[in-house]
Amino acid sequence: MSSAIVSTRLRARLGAAVLAVASATAVLVGVAPSASAASSPKPGGSVTYGLEAETGGGWCPKNAQLAISGIEVGAAIYDTLVVPNTKGQIVPYLAKSIEHSADYKTWTVTLRDGIKFHDGEALDAAAVVQNIEAYRSSPLIGAALQDVDTVTATSPSVVTITTKVPWVAFDWFLYLDGRMLIEAPAQLTSPDCASDLIGTGPFKLDHWTVNQELVAVKNPDYWQKDSKGQKLPYLDKITFKPVAEAGQRVNSLQGKTLDIIHTSDGQQVDAIEQQASNYNLLKEQPGRREVRYYLMNVKDAPLNDANARKAVALAIDRNQINQLRNDGIFTVANGPFDSDVPGYLKNTGYPKYNLAQAKKLASAYKAAHGGQFSVVLEHTNDPANTAEAELIKEQLAKAGIDSTLKQDDQTAFIAAAVGGNFSILLWRNHPGDDPDVNYQWWQDGSILNFGKFVDPQMQTLLDQGRSETDPAKRKQIYQQVNKQFATQLYNVWAYYAQWVVAAQKNVQGLMGPPLPDGGGQPLFLYGRHPLLGIYVTK
Amino acid sequence: MPAPDGDPMPDDPTRAEPTRADPMPGLVGEATRGRPIDAGTIEMAAVETGPEVRRLRKKGLGIAAWLSIGWIALVVGLAILAPVLPLDDPKASITDIARRGPFADAGSAPGHLLGGDFNGRDMLSRLIWGGRTTLLVATSAVIIGFVLGGILGLLGGYFRGKVDVVVSLLLDVFLAIPAVILALALVTILRTQPGTSGGGLDPEVALILALGLVSIPVLGRITRASTLSWSQREFVLAARAQGAKHRRILWREVLPNVLPAMMSIALLGIAVAIVSEGTLAILGASVETDTPTWGNMIAIGRINLQRAPHIVFEPALMIFFTVLALNMLGDVVRSKLDVREGAL
Amino acid sequence: MGLIARRLAQLVVVVILSTLFAFALLRLFPGDAADAVIPYGTAAQKAKFRADTGLDQPFFQQYATWLGNLAQGDFGKDYQSNTPVADKLQTALPVSLQLMLYAQIMALVVAIPLGVLTAYRAGTKSDRAINAGAFALLALPSFVLALALAYWVGVKWHPDIPLLGQVPVSGYEPGWLEAVFGAPTGDLGKHFATMLLPSVALAAGLVAVYMRLLRSDMIATLQENYITMARSKGLSDGHILWRHALRPSSLTLLTVAGLNFGTLVGGAVAVEVIFQIPGIGTLIYQAINARQLVELQSYIAIIAIGYVLINFVIDALYVVLDPRIRRARA
Repeated sequence: MSSAIVSTRLRARLGAAVLAVASATAVLVGVAPSASAASSPKPGGSVTYGLEAETGGGWCPKNAQLAISGIEVGAAIYDTLVVPNTKGQIVPYLAKSIEHSADYKTWTVTLRDGIKFHDGEALDAAAVVQNIEAYRSSPLIGAALQDVDTVTATSPSVVTITTKVPWVAFDWFLYLDGRMLIEAPAQLTSPDCASDLIGTGPFKLDHWTVNQELVAVKNPDYWQKDSKGQKLPYLDKITFKPVAEAGQRVNSLQGKTLDIIHTSDGQQVDAIEQQASNYNLLKEQPGRREVRYYLMNVKDAPLNDANARKAVALAIDRNQINQLRNDGIFTVANGPFDSDVPGYLKNTGYPKYNLAQAKKLASAYKAAHGGQFSVVLEHTNDPANTAEAELIKEQLAKAGIDSTLKQDDQTAFIAAAVGGNFSILLWRNHPGDDPDVNYQWWQDGSILNFGKFVDPQMQTLLDQGRSETDPAKRKQIYQQVNKQFATQLYNVWAYYAQWVVAAQKNVQGLMGPPLPDGGGQPLFLYGRHPLLGIYVTK
Repeated sequence: MPAPDGDPMPDDPTRAEPTRADPMPGLVGEATRGRPIDAGTIEMAAVETGPEVRRLRKKGLGIAAWLSIGWIALVVGLAILAPVLPLDDPKASITDIARRGPFADAGSAPGHLLGGDFNGRDMLSRLIWGGRTTLLVATSAVIIGFVLGGILGLLGGYFRGKVDVVVSLLLDVFLAIPAVILALALVTILRTQPGTSGGGLDPEVALILALGLVSIPVLGRITRASTLSWSQREFVLAARAQGAKHRRILWREVLPNVLPAMMSIALLGIAVAIVSEGTLAILGASVETDTPTWGNMIAIGRINLQRAPHIVFEPALMIFFTVLALNMLGDVVRSKLDVREGAL
Repeated sequence: MGLIARRLAQLVVVVILSTLFAFALLRLFPGDAADAVIPYGTAAQKAKFRADTGLDQPFFQQYATWLGNLAQGDFGKDYQSNTPVADKLQTALPVSLQLMLYAQIMALVVAIPLGVLTAYRAGTKSDRAINAGAFALLALPSFVLALALAYWVGVKWHPDIPLLGQVPVSGYEPGWLEAVFGAPTGDLGKHFATMLLPSVALAAGLVAVYMRLLRSDMIATLQENYITMARSKGLSDGHILWRHALRPSSLTLLTVAGLNFGTLVGGAVAVEVIFQIPGIGTLIYQAINARQLVELQSYIAIIAIGYVLINFVIDALYVVLDPRIRRARA
């Protein structure tokens, strides 16, 4: 049919449809890197990746405390059994398939054949069992896996996991934002388990000089190939360098001394976006962003009083914070869930900024408590967080609430959180996994429930959500959780933080190839992106 | 390293006589004895061995000296008057002026001559209040060092012998640990841990004590060296021969002569303390961060270097000019009050 | 010989006293390593940790244990990452030493000629001008200069230096000294590029100090009799300055340069933080924050030992440099 016969209206509709599909894809995936060359990219080359921190504690499952920097290194050296895709589904990755019984209490993980660890040992069910048991014994991840009952290798390539309760979203827990790394038994049993990194991933550990660099080189026997049959990864080498300050990372990117950086700092994201034409950007779109919030100690005075918490929440002008801290480019949050997560509500009932009301509640509290209403604002000791804390202090002061600022390094900060020695913490968490993944952060008596709130209603909802099979009902349950947060005000939800990965123009393939076995496109969640598909052009 | 013999300086034949441009008795002499001296003393020697000293001795105070006095007077005056001056609240954010540069009156929120910081707080106000806190901390710290270091130095330099061994050992031990590290450790120990029930001091007090303790070796050393040389003078020996008590001699004969060196050092010490506060601020060990000090403003503001460099450079310039002026004044005090050097 | 033995004894005494002092100080730290390493642990787990690592022993016993271990080359362990402190030192010490070396070399290369020149031309306009500049440099804190350099060079200027390449605003590339310590070496060009700004930030203040001290000593030396005699013999000014006057005038300079060891190795921590140079200053800073007292103890001991050793070496060098001392001591 010649174009003359096709009516203009049809053409327009077609055009609109194409546009809609394209933007939908863009919305879900962010800037999709185009590896649309006729042939595979040339293998070779190396990149330097600027991370936001060093992972001093190492990668030993039984005691690792991985944040995004450790997780990204993990993405180079290890694989996880499963990964999420852009449709929000968990699909098998290192595993060939993952199935569950009808009652969601038995999970069967079938491994792929022929995969070897970097030391030549085969990946088998026994190794996976060893890994999961190690994670169960760790204080952090163990808390998340508490409802796991038994883990057994029922055959050399099948692992069977039984759970204590019907666990609908258990497959998400085999990912945990990229923390569930499958490590070689040799590493698990080594006395240098934290630093002797051996996995199945696209890169092998070459050497790790703490605080300086971690160098990973191509794994020539990696199990994945690209769509043209070329072995992955393309790169010969990745050098990870910890660069603590986001501004310096961006400067180094500009000065070309770093090839790839990541950041979720509002001002730096703004700065990068203004130079977007100079770089390849991978930007997290709204939908599954993590949330920045101020976590309150609900067990001790003064914030064990609900009205005191309300005073704090009403006094904090989150719009001003978003403006000054993020140049206004992030979105103010009203709950822990972003728009694509079941449980999200446009209107949760979270109170709006109201200084007059805050003042009233504050003076009422003071009148009943000997004229004292003081809190401690605790944060990590980098200038960006310090600036935010100072702003919060000032806002609280306007309502008559005294606060002291306390800055800690990362270690002391976590120690304070766990020990309950704080009144307000500036925290970030709750990336857009399945909402059940947040269970251990909110559970009664959990070590990770830093605010130590005891809320039987919430606990019931969380337990229901874990086992509810009907997606619609499940959504409602988590919406209730969301509303409960808004009424009880255990946390002050500040804004959703977006991750951005920026690379030099000649560094491409930031999200890599589609997932194996038609799993779809990998999801850019919590700043983690695969490294196996990165390639360098002239 | 301590020399147990503790010979006084003037008898040392290797030390060239007063034609050496050496206003600090004992520094160069000490060097030839192989005694460790610390970086602070060295800095101070560097200040005072320049041609500025010579010129000052010849005529009245030069223009540089007057400028320095003027600057110090201005800064101190503003610091004292800060509560009554019509300044903005240094802790109040005005979103409109966030990161606004100096002299960039943009219509909304007029005024704010020196711009706003990253949270929109008035820079002029923060500089003045910051100066108040910085000077308070630095001066208090040096007073502590002056008193304690002075006492140690006097005792060691006057009594010599075993007393001097102990005093020198004490001072040397301090020197083996870099001052920044020592100050950082002291601040961490002394501070209150807000939220915990443990005892501890207010961050400002902890900082003053830490900087004070760290300045003891410097002041002690200079006092000791000066005391050593003055104790050998005829009039002191004469007083002793007449049976005067040690305490009286120290108070009436030795101390008045040692005081000029001590005061000069104290002024330089304040300059060093101002810089140390900045260093500690970068390490997170200064006062509570929303209380402005020049060091704090630099340390927290440094991520804004690209967008709003004035946030860092305004307090940096304040530090620079104040330290410069204090160095100059220390020089002036030395040359004007030291009778011995003037005679030559 | 007796002199050397005496000095050695003093060395040992000072090292022991300073480490003991630091140990006592650190015992007063609030919080302990158990809270920092296993914050999630139960009280029983923390007690076990303290028992395993000897943290619950009495003060002097802990000190004695630590000292004994140190003598055998065991610097203790970082309990968080389970790495031996010796390993961390292996990578961090060469960083700090190289930084110190470059800063010192830079400073001396500039300061010595300037010091000689201004002493030679004492009292003239150029002398006063240069001294005014040095005086101003004395007032510039190294962290301010570091930030200014980071801004101008890193953000505004972006220079591309031949052989070095781009000058980065932060970060570190291993250099050559790592080989001596058994740590991996790196690209030398990139290494010097990363060390350029931090070294300059540290060297600027040193230049002022060294120049003025040298000048002061040179002026005095130039008035000595033997200089007048050399001049009357017809020796050229340059010859006199560099061959006869410089050596005996460099005593203070030498002392000071040696003493800056402590300041530059441990005390450069602010510059290290600003430029993200992972030297021993950074390790100390992290150890203080993480309450790793055994680790901290070892770092301070290393610095104290180094500092005292350098003093020792300087003492020995005095005798070589100034014949008058040799004669006096005889």
